[in-house]
Amino acid sequence: MSIAHRPSDETLAAFAAGQLDEGLAVVVACHVEANRESRQRLRELDAVQGALLDAIEPVAMAAGPRDASGIAQGAPDSAAPVSEAGMPQVLRPYGFGPWRPIGIRIAMRRVEVPGAGARVFMLRAGPGIALPHHKHTGVEWTTILAGAYEHEYGRYAAGDFDEADAEHEHTPRVDPVEGCTCIVAMTGNVLLQGWLGRMLQPLVRF
Amino acid sequence: MIDPNALIAAIARSGDREAFAALFDHFAPRVKGLLMRGGASAELAEEVAQETLLAVWRKAGLFDPAKASASTWIATIARNLRIDIARRETRSRLSQVYEILDEEAPEQPDATLSGAERDARVRDAMTRLSPDQYRVVELAFLEGFSHQDVAHRLAIPLGTVKSRLRLALSHLRGRLEDLR
Repeated sequence: MSIAHRPSDETLAAFAAGQLDEGLAVVVACHVEANRESRQRLRELDAVQGALLDAIEPVAMAAGPRDASGIAQGAPDSAAPVSEAGMPQVLRPYGFGPWRPIGIRIAMRRVEVPGAGARVFMLRAGPGIALPHHKHTGVEWTTILAGAYEHEYGRYAAGDFDEADAEHEHTPRVDPVEGCTCIVAMTGNVLLQGWLGRMLQPLVRF
Repeated sequence: MIDPNALIAAIARSGDREAFAALFDHFAPRVKGLLMRGGASAELAEEVAQETLLAVWRKAGLFDPAKASASTWIATIARNLRIDIARRETRSRLSQVYEILDEEAPEQPDATLSGAERDARVRDAMTRLSPDQYRVVELAFLEGFSHQDVAHRLAIPLGTVKSRLRLALSHLRGRLEDLR
């Protein structure tokens, strides 16, 4: 088994602190749900916030406690819908567009993340195909949901997180047996190349 | 000195108003201070602090001291409410994502420290950071990870912010891994 690909400390810390763009945060959350090591790290980073709270200089409240007596105790109703089979639980709060073919054995569906600066979508590719060769001006963060792909930085399987920035230029090749389904958040503009890239372009820039 | 675990337990057990008032007096001004340190206005900080303590009242029965310390639990509630309130107009659902992650995937107790132990160790590791490193961690967590902003606030070069933050985070991790 290969070593799992995980986010940098800094990315996880920004996620823990609630400082990431919501689109990027959703992709990180899909990874955290699937990776025990990152979940453990996240608990530690939450504890950093507890330590900051303990050490902070208090600022006097303008008003005393609101009357809580009318407020029911207990868990709030779980209003979040049930997730589709095989989908990460953390995607439950979000809506999805339909799967749309964007090439031979490649399909894409939009993930609706209101207020996100990053564009979020899922990509499903058949065994053995090469994903479009591309460069971008922002970041592109990916969590593999099923199957695997491989590029010059290694093999990325279910649960792995692939953190690429503008300096990276890669051509992932999808696993020849399992295919690959992943969720991607992109910022900036994508510069796709080749015929597939030209087909993908208008869809990425929704 | 208050015992927040006992106060939260009293709220969960019997809706104890006095316990709630004591918890409010301790934590609400700290949550407000934390938000204001992060650049929030006094009004927004006050609102988040009020909402956070009301959520503590509502969720007291869900607090599990084995999972995290009271401070950590309250800090994460405040984080979620800050996001909800700050991104209200965009109908952000990010706080639901954090809640789902929190309820999902119970940790294997034998493989990891208890929440209270982990919190104590993180706290200890934080006190061992140099003042410079502590400040960078604090700014990053409270104001965001835009290094440009942090560099500007601290009037130090961008590269120094990056290396200081990276070093601080790896110190924290190192201290915890030694003890695992």
